[in-house]
Order: sequence, then structure tokens, then C-alpha cells
Amino acid sequence: MTPIAGGVALNLAFGFSILTIIVLFLYTRYGDERLFLTGQRLALGVSFFVFLATFILSYQLLISNFDIDYVARYTSLETPFIYKISALWAGQSGSLLFWLFILSIYATITILQNQSKHHTLMPWVIICLAIIQLFFLVLTNFITNPFMPTEAEFIVTNGNGLNPLLQNVTMAIHPPTLYLGYVGFSVPFAFAISALINKDTSPLWIQSIRRWTLVAWLFLSSGIILGGWWAYQELGWGGYWAWDPVENASFMPWLTATAFLHSIIIQEKKDMLRIWNMVLIILTFTLCIFGTFLTRSGVMSSVHSFTASSLGPIFLVFVFLILIVSFSIMYINRNDLKSKKRMESFTSRESGFLFNNLVFVVMCFSVFWGTLFPVISEAVRGTKITVGPPFFNQINIPIGLILLALTGIGPLLAWRKTGKQSLIKNFTFPILSGLIGASFFIFIGLKGTVVISFSLCVFVLATISKEFARGILARTKKFNETIITAFYRMISKNRSRYGGYIVHVGIVFMFVGFTGHAFDKEKEFSLKVGETDHVAGYEFTLLKMSESERPNHYAWISDIRVTDNKGAFVTNLYPEKRVYFHKNPDVNRRQPHSELDIYSTLNQDIYSIFSAVDTENSIAFIKIMVNPLVRWVWIGGYILVIGTMIALWPRKD
Amino acid sequence: MNSNNKFMLMISGLVTIVIFWIGWVSSNPKDEKAMATFISVEDLINDKINKRTKLGGLVKNGSILISKTNYLDCSFILQEGAVELNVKYDRTRPDLFKDGAEVIVTGLYLDGVFYADELQTKCASKYEGDLRDESSYNLTEIEI
Repeated sequence: MTPIAGGVALNLAFGFSILTIIVLFLYTRYGDERLFLTGQRLALGVSFFVFLATFILSYQLLISNFDIDYVARYTSLETPFIYKISALWAGQSGSLLFWLFILSIYATITILQNQSKHHTLMPWVIICLAIIQLFFLVLTNFITNPFMPTEAEFIVTNGNGLNPLLQNVTMAIHPPTLYLGYVGFSVPFAFAISALINKDTSPLWIQSIRRWTLVAWLFLSSGIILGGWWAYQELGWGGYWAWDPVENASFMPWLTATAFLHSIIIQEKKDMLRIWNMVLIILTFTLCIFGTFLTRSGVMSSVHSFTASSLGPIFLVFVFLILIVSFSIMYINRNDLKSKKRMESFTSRESGFLFNNLVFVVMCFSVFWGTLFPVISEAVRGTKITVGPPFFNQINIPIGLILLALTGIGPLLAWRKTGKQSLIKNFTFPILSGLIGASFFIFIGLKGTVVISFSLCVFVLATISKEFARGILARTKKFNETIITAFYRMISKNRSRYGGYIVHVGIVFMFVGFTGHAFDKEKEFSLKVGETDHVAGYEFTLLKMSESERPNHYAWISDIRVTDNKGAFVTNLYPEKRVYFHKNPDVNRRQPHSELDIYSTLNQDIYSIFSAVDTENSIAFIKIMVNPLVRWVWIGGYILVIGTMIALWPRKD
Repeated sequence: MNSNNKFMLMISGLVTIVIFWIGWVSSNPKDEKAMATFISVEDLINDKINKRTKLGGLVKNGSILISKTNYLDCSFILQEGAVELNVKYDRTRPDLFKDGAEVIVTGLYLDGVFYADELQTKCASKYEGDLRDESSYNLTEIEI
């Protein structure tokens, strides 16, 4: 009975979304307030039924009702509680319902938050959100329904269980975080379209979506970082980013959204770049849907392709529809989008922002090109060419370094025009610091891109410290405050600016981590108990190998002692070789899995993988990687989150 | 020319240069591992292609041979339809590499042998496979 209620809830949400669109459209024609009120309530109804459907599916997953196909495929009786919940977004239909669930949360907040605000914008905002909901309701109602009953000729007493790769806490939170980001851009997109239709593209709509955009950006950034963290902890290839199509799918909207976050500052302050901002938010939202398409369609072979499905064409049609409709509305209203103000100088903060924007978009284009190159080459030349990380690195390392440099240059430029005197005054300290850094890095034997990257990091940190020092000094002089009070008050008086700088510090730390990749070392070898091998100045001795049977897997655990080249003890590593579903008589259904062990310091990570075990001769096959500076990527990630939260935090007044 | 036009001109110039550069890198990548052509095993054998290629197929049952002296050294036969190809690989093998597994290998073809430096298995689709009946359960013995 209950599963049927889930299906019915989805049906009702589908009907309500159509009604919402019709009623609110009529309101925009005839202006009857009762229609607006009805439309709002209908829209809340759509969200209510989506919530209901999601809760029903979650409950069925928790009670292991294997009469529902989805529950039987993604959970089993042995699946731990937390992964029964995360199974909600493990499979196709569930994850689409989850998309819809998050969109409905956002839609509800938007409607409730703006009940007495933005009276002209809101009808079209709700219509846009309802159309997006309708698209996902079509998918979950008619194409891939999560409440489909199990079709088997026997009674399913236990389900298939969740893929062991997904049984990791990070993996339980990475997809929802990413989704919160993806879906979050629906709201600024809806406001943008509504502003266009209402012919009101003044900076007003920008103000209403700044916080939404930051929230979505925060989730998208955290989702990407968590994904990298998960790959590093679970996948066992020692890296966190592989330029995989699905990773790229999340990176592309991040790039355009970051550009958008910067360029709306110019529209807010100078009322310039109206068209550009529209283009950016439309692109960002389209890329979010495109990202979902890449993940779900199976067009690209990828570590993420847990599904191969027929959803591709429908998503593609939706992507094209968004682009065609949005840009047509933009074209029709092009006269309202013309800004009255012009760029005055190359050495102005405006032009700094504009260059930063261009670099972001060019980077997005290069990632798009590389991701779709196999498809393009197959269509044009008939041969399928796959593109690997070296291609992306060759193009994106220089672009990334330019971006890093701009992060340092931008804050030093004044609005409108920077005079020669202030150019010299502002740049002397950061450039000198960068040059001193460069000399030091060359002195200790570093070369090429590594020196450029580290020196730019020093340059940007010098710029940001200078900005902080200047602000604090001004306050201590003017208000006679202590340095700590001045620091605290300066940030709380201008959260978006200083929060932004803190985000930049996070990005610099991440670049430090990325640069460390140039020094990675790895070695694969086999060890019997008592034997030793060497990698990058460390000795690895296999002390013992033990076995253990656990609730849903069987494990071999190796105990490796690590000492440095002077013989001093460093750590013990315990990588495991596991076999999931080891009791299954069908050998093909058992899944081997390597559980890593990582010894992490600020300086470097020692990363161990137990790749295989020879039980007859008691030999462990080990892969060791020594990855310098990786931890800085995660530290940078934390700082980025803190900075964004500061920028987001509401003011007291 | 006003400053706005100068700006547009400079920006268009820069964008054009970058697009050409991306195009150039696409056809002349610095690292040979940047790109690989996906072809069929049959074409590879017939045309004796000696540049980096990617192949897909199944691991022939019983064909996996692992060196007695170095466990990492392994060879197997890749099947694509009726065509077979000898593959050598000497790195850590993915967890799901076994008889009958669907694999993608990347590497070079030399004198009748394909020397792979990348070996990927298609895996997780197993989780969307058939549901299991009761006979799959209630087993106490562990068979690895």
C-alpha cells in the first residue's frame, strides 16, 4: 500500500506543477491577485508531494521492502543504516527523485522568503522553478519511476546491496552536496529569466540572488572537493582529480558560476555587464543540467557511469530548450540589457574582473572541448579519440596560473582607473615578495612551472596580507582599536569583501597542493613477511598479514612498518584487501576491493594500496605512493568553505 | 576608437589566440598519453597501427597468465567477437580483472603483442544486475 502512495504522490506533484504554471501564467496576463495566491499555494503543493514521495522511498529503503525494485537493487539486509539512507541517491531513479527533492526545498524557501517581496519578479520565478520541477517529474513519473514493483519469478529475500565503493561516509555526503550546488543555481536562473521577462534588468535582481548564488557555489565547491577527497581515499590510484567526464561536468558550472560571482559585483557597483551576467547565469544553469546529463546518460565512459540508460536524449532536448528559450528571451529584450556605462581604463578593477571572467570562461570552454572531443572526433572524423589528463593539464595549467596571478592583481587595482603612482605603490610589496619567493625556490633547486606556481602563491598571499594590514591599520588609527578588535570588526563590517579574500587564501593553498603533484613518486612491489623495499627515501617492511571476517566482507590486513632512510620509525600502515559478498556462491558476484591506508602530514602523504594477495605463498602485493603537499588541497578546501560562510553570514542590521 | 571598442578588440584578439592554441594542442599534444584512438581489435591487427590506441573486449576464459617471478607481470588474451589479441601488462591489476571481465586497455601494438600501460575494468554495472533468489543466501562456508 505505502509504495503505491509514493507513486500517487509523484502523480499529484506532476499534476500540481502543470496547474501552477497555468494559473501563474494567467496571473501574469490578467493580474488577479487571487490567481497569484492560488499559484503560490499550488507550487507549495508540488513541493509537499515531492517531499512525501521522498520520505516514502527513504522509509521503504530503511525497512528493506524488497517488493520495490529500487530497494532490492541498491540495499540488502546487511547494508548499514547510513548507507540505506544514502541508497536514495545511489541509483538512477532515486537520484532523480533526490534532485527533485532538493529543488522542492529550494522552491519552498524561495516562495516563503519572498511572500511579500519582489512582487513583480516572483510569478515568473515560480513558473520557471515549476517548469524545472515538471521536467524531473516527467522523468520520475513516466521514464524511471523509483516506486516500480520488483519483477522476479521468485520472492526476493535479500537485495543486491550497495556497491562497496559507495560504502564510505564521504561518498554518502558527496552526491547530496554536489546536488545542492547543481540544483541551487535553479533559483538565480529563475530570477534572471523573470527579470528578463519583466524587462527589469537593473542591479535589483542581482541583489536578490547574490546570497542564493553564494549558497549554491558553496555547495558545488564543497561537493567537488569532497568528490576529490573520496577518489583519493577510496579509488586507490593516488590522485584526487582525473579530468574524468563527470568530474569535468561539475567543474564547468563551477567555473562559470565563479565568473558570475565576480561579475555581479561590477553590476551591483557600476551597473555594467548586464548582458554578460545573463549569459553567465544561463550558461551555469545549463551546464548544471548538462552535468546531470553526462552523469546519467552513459554517453561518456567514466568511473561514475554506474548506469547506462536511455535518459540521454531527453536531457539533451531539455538542455537545448533551456538555451534556445533563454537566449530568445534575451534577444527580444536586448534593448533593456544595454548598460549606460563604459569601461574607462585597462588598469581598473572593472577590467581586472572582466579579464578574470574571460579566463574562467576560456577555461570552461577548454574543459568542455576536451570532454566532448571524443564525441566530436567521432562525429567529424569517424574515429573515437579519448582524451587523457595530459591534454587537460597542458591547457589548464597555464590558464590556471593566469587566474592565480589575476587573484593577486585584481584587489590592487582601483575602481575606474589606477594612476601610475598608486600602481607602483600597490604592487611593490607583492611583486617583491613574489620575486624573493622565486629566488628562494630556484635556490633550493626547483624549476619551471613549479617555481612560477609557488612564486605566484607568494605574490597572492602578499597582496591579501597587504589588504588585511591596510584595513586593520586604518581602523587602529581611526578608532583606536586593538589589532584583534580591528581585524574582527573590519571583517564583520565588510563580510563579502574579506570573506572573498579568505576564499582566495584557500585557493592559494589548493594551488600549493596541486603543484606538489609534480613531485609524486610511486612504486609497486611484492613482499613476504619480514621483507623490505624502498620508495622515495623510506623503507617499507611487511611485519605480518592477518585475516578477518566482518559482517559484509572478508579482509586480509597487512601491517607495514615505515622507517626513514636513517632507520627512524615513521608510522605503521594497515592497508586491506577485502572481498565483499564473499559468501555468494557465484564468484562473479563477489567484489574485491582495496582499502587504502594513508599516513598524512603537511609535508607529504605516504599512500599504501594492498593491490593483491597470494594466499598460498603469503605474499602481499603493495603499491606505495609518496605524494607531497596533498594535505594543502584539503586545508585550502576548509578555508574556502570558511571564507564563503563569512561572505554569506547575514548582517545584524 | 573609444576605450570600449579597444577593449572589445583586445578581448576578441585574446580569445581567438586561445581558441587557436586549444585547437593546436588538440592536434599536437605534448604528451603521447594525452590522446588515444579507440579502434577495434580487428583494425589494429589488420592495419598494424603503431601509435597509441585504446581497445575494448573481454578477457578470454583461462587465458590469464601470471609470471612466477614477478606477480605484477601478466599476459592475457583479449577477445572482441571472434578476433583475439595477446596483451601484456605489468602494473597493478584492477580488483575486477578476471576471466570474462569486460576490459579497456590502452597501449602500443608491437610484433603481434599489445603492450598495455592502462587497464580498466567495467565494473559497477554488476550492481544493476539480476536480483537474487533465496538459494544465493544462508551459506556459512567462505569460498574465496
